[in-house]
Amino acid sequence: MNSFAAVLRKDLLLEVRGGQSTVALGALSLLVLVVLVFAFDPGGGEQGAAAAAGALWVALVFSGMLGATRAVSAENENGCLRALLMSPLDRAVLYAAKLAAAFVFMAVAEAASIVLMVLFFNLDFDARVMRMAPVVLLGALGFAALATLLAAISSRLRGGELILPLLAVPMFVPALIAGVKASALALGGSPLDELAVWIKVLAAFDAIFVAAGYLLFEYVAGEE
Amino acid sequence: MTAPLIEARALGKSFGPAPVLREVNLSVAAGGGLAVVGANGAGKSTLIRLLAGLSAPSFGDAMLFGEAARTLAPALRRRVGLLSHQSFLYPNLSAQENLEFYATLYGVEDARKTAALWLERVALGAAADARVRGFSRGMEQRLALARAMLARPDVLMLDEPFAALDGDGAALAAALVREAMSRGCAVLASAHSAEPLAALGFAVLALARGKLVRAEPDAARQSAARAPLARQVS
Amino acid sequence: MNGRPVRLGLGFVTLALVLAALYMVFVYVPTEADQGIVQRIFYFHVPCAWDAFASFALVAIAGIFYLWLGQQVWDDLGYAAAEVGMVFCTLVLATGSIWAKPIWGAWWTWDSRLTTTLILWLLYGGYLMLRAMAGDSAQGARFGAVVGIVAAVDVPIVIVSVRLWRTIHPAVLVTRQGGHGLEDPRMVATLLVSLAAFTALFIWILCLRFVTLRMRTRLGALARSLAMAEAAAQD
Repeated sequence: MNSFAAVLRKDLLLEVRGGQSTVALGALSLLVLVVLVFAFDPGGGEQGAAAAAGALWVALVFSGMLGATRAVSAENENGCLRALLMSPLDRAVLYAAKLAAAFVFMAVAEAASIVLMVLFFNLDFDARVMRMAPVVLLGALGFAALATLLAAISSRLRGGELILPLLAVPMFVPALIAGVKASALALGGSPLDELAVWIKVLAAFDAIFVAAGYLLFEYVAGEE
Repeated sequence: MTAPLIEARALGKSFGPAPVLREVNLSVAAGGGLAVVGANGAGKSTLIRLLAGLSAPSFGDAMLFGEAARTLAPALRRRVGLLSHQSFLYPNLSAQENLEFYATLYGVEDARKTAALWLERVALGAAADARVRGFSRGMEQRLALARAMLARPDVLMLDEPFAALDGDGAALAAALVREAMSRGCAVLASAHSAEPLAALGFAVLALARGKLVRAEPDAARQSAARAPLARQVS
Repeated sequence: MNGRPVRLGLGFVTLALVLAALYMVFVYVPTEADQGIVQRIFYFHVPCAWDAFASFALVAIAGIFYLWLGQQVWDDLGYAAAEVGMVFCTLVLATGSIWAKPIWGAWWTWDSRLTTTLILWLLYGGYLMLRAMAGDSAQGARFGAVVGIVAAVDVPIVIVSVRLWRTIHPAVLVTRQGGHGLEDPRMVATLLVSLAAFTALFIWILCLRFVTLRMRTRLGALARSLAMAEAAAQD
């Protein structure tokens, strides 16, 4: 088993054994969606679809911040991060494994969010929701890439919990714009080629941030 | 004396203006053992962190295998083992799973078998599948020692290796350290008192006010046999 | 090596350019037909935006050099650029807002350029908060460099996505270099002089701030050496 698989497997194993991250993320998404239903009181039809798409992405952003923080902080108990840094493990591979773990947590939470969204916003479980799924996954990947890198920074600063949302939200704006637009279009029944430009933006965003994280993680992972 | 595996040259560290360590010079060659004793807060853990490459020096050099410890290549990091006062163990994994994980990271052939073997060597075979969360402090320390040594490192750094170990545990640890040194491993250890380490033939130095000074006379006498392999470089 | 003569000279050049720009903006250039006197803000708004974005790139470049070479001088430059850039970015938003109210009737519009500048402002703010939180340390400098680089890499895709999202900015600002809707050559000249003035102003303030940070770095190093010597004297 290579190192990447070993670290990812360990994180997923720890999660299954009572990490409670996916539960926490799912719960947070649920709460966010409930708040937004009261905030916007959406009707059905196209207005409902647009509101639903927006709500889903708000839930994605909030649960994503929690997910990335947990994936990174999992190494804080007993100083395991130091052990990983001392091992032959490549820092970039460590980033990739943490990113993958955060992505898995987010994907599970997003699946739950989509179900809740359909229920709360009076939509139907049909092909339109299916067409939205890859958009959400791309968004989750981009946010996981961004947030894993930033969480490595915020987790090392006293009172740093503010830093993650402060930096992650403005940086995520391009993917947020593209993701909400594409999701709203998909839910409204638009064909795939209308979504194409937004999906390209999402894909470019993902590529840029995964690469940036991969190259820069080693500079934030070390100690003083 | 052959090229030292662990070396500090005019090493110093400051957090803020006041220095925690200053003008530290030491070297340990293959098969040698150096013990650094000092009170709490004297800087022993900081020294080990610097030499392990976890922290960057403010002055001077911390070197392993002749290379800067901070930027050690992965191939060389594979040959370094660290025992810290933090256990580096995942509480929700079993002892076997913890060792297997690290064995995989260190590229050990047949991680599963190696992990099982080392569990036996530290007398934790019976607790192989128990979660580390339920371990006593002594069991944790033994497992942490196994973790540090399972890749058969050429450099071993032990921060208070005998802490939390009872008589049997301490004897086990001593035997493992002796065996490592005899196969050419360079060992640097920190402790409150020189006793168990001097008995293993370690040279002993004391850390006081950030500087390394000669240890108490009787400890130095006991370490005379191993002294040529580990010394304070003046 | 004392840079004071250079800074002094730069200061005088800046003063001359700023005075020239002020004259041209308030006296020389004709009032624009559609928008009236308020349009003169444009000659401050655009150069400030140019300064804000250029400074952002500077933060990222300084960050790259810092991570690559490990020399504190690059971090001092990056931090100074972030602080000065933040000021100019705030001015862009403020002048944009002052301009928008009489023209479009609203203090804020979510058009593409203003939105992108707001994102930039938030990124600057995040960077400065991060540096304040991390304190005076090599770790803080490394974190800052990484954030500066990632943020700069993010900006192009922000620009693209926000532009796809919407735009109602006046056609007079199609690009920052040329291709503008300014008919009168006097307006072009005024804009260019103002651009030069603000660039000089930016460089001059950056130099002052940079020198201050360099002194702080040197002071820190001296304090450490002094503490070492004191400890050695007590041996």
